[in-house]
Amino acid sequence: MSLFQGINTSASALTANRLRLDTIASNIAQAETTRANFVDGAWQPYRRKMVELSPQTNGTFDNFLQAAVGTVSGSQGGQGVKVTAIQEDNTPFKRVFDPSHPDADQDGYLLMPNVDPMKEMVDMISASRSYEANVTALNASKSMMLKALEIK
Amino acid sequence: MLDSYHLQVLERSLDAATLRHRTIANNLANIDTPQFKSQQVIFESFLQDELDARAGNGKLEAYRTNQRHIPFGNAGGVAVPQIVSNPNNFIQNSGNDVDLEAETTELAKNQIWYSGLTQLTAGHFQKLRSVIEGGGK
Repeated sequence: MSLFQGINTSASALTANRLRLDTIASNIAQAETTRANFVDGAWQPYRRKMVELSPQTNGTFDNFLQAAVGTVSGSQGGQGVKVTAIQEDNTPFKRVFDPSHPDADQDGYLLMPNVDPMKEMVDMISASRSYEANVTALNASKSMMLKALEIK
Repeated sequence: MLDSYHLQVLERSLDAATLRHRTIANNLANIDTPQFKSQQVIFESFLQDELDARAGNGKLEAYRTNQRHIPFGNAGGVAVPQIVSNPNNFIQNSGNDVDLEAETTELAKNQIWYSGLTQLTAGHFQKLRSVIEGGGK
């Protein structure tokens, strides 16, 4: 039974949370971008992106070995988390009246990205707390492995 | 003494602690995964049952008329940790039921338990060493 699996599990979560933070940073950075995609001769504003997470449960050799040897009964533990997709938020764009803007339509209305900075801040705090919790778990793995090495 | 039962118990407890650590790490990794259900490891009660059975206080023991009869029940069995889903916890809107506080507390407890076990194991080998060296120093 390997403690390294614990480190890999925490590492997968650190990577996933880093990607979440990067996505949120991108959303905030593009909150005012009106020219993200050029579709049918018109500029489309930036669409908010979201990270889709799912548990990583595909069996590893270690899992199958342990099930066969019978060192664990019941369902096998997972191997962390993985990012399955980066999805786009399909909520409608904000419509702002700004006739002086170069991308405004004939009526003077301008489409702005569907990014809500408040929502992004909440998600950012959530992602950074998850990152911290997983760093704690990683440190625990490290100190447990060092303790095991002290058996002599 | 080299293949003593104590060492076996210590080894299996260390294995269970490792498994529990992995399970907690997995729960924490999936703290924001929608529809994820957390898991926990049950081991100590199984080990206690086994130790009770060895001491002759097993819950289920056959009446033996001869010492050479094979013991009934779980005497001499090997306690195996079991991964089960976590009961009595709250479920968030996303269908995820990982409780951050409970998991971190379990993590800290398990870490201390593990380091206690390593010390006991180290002490076991220390005793062996002092026997081999004749206690001469």
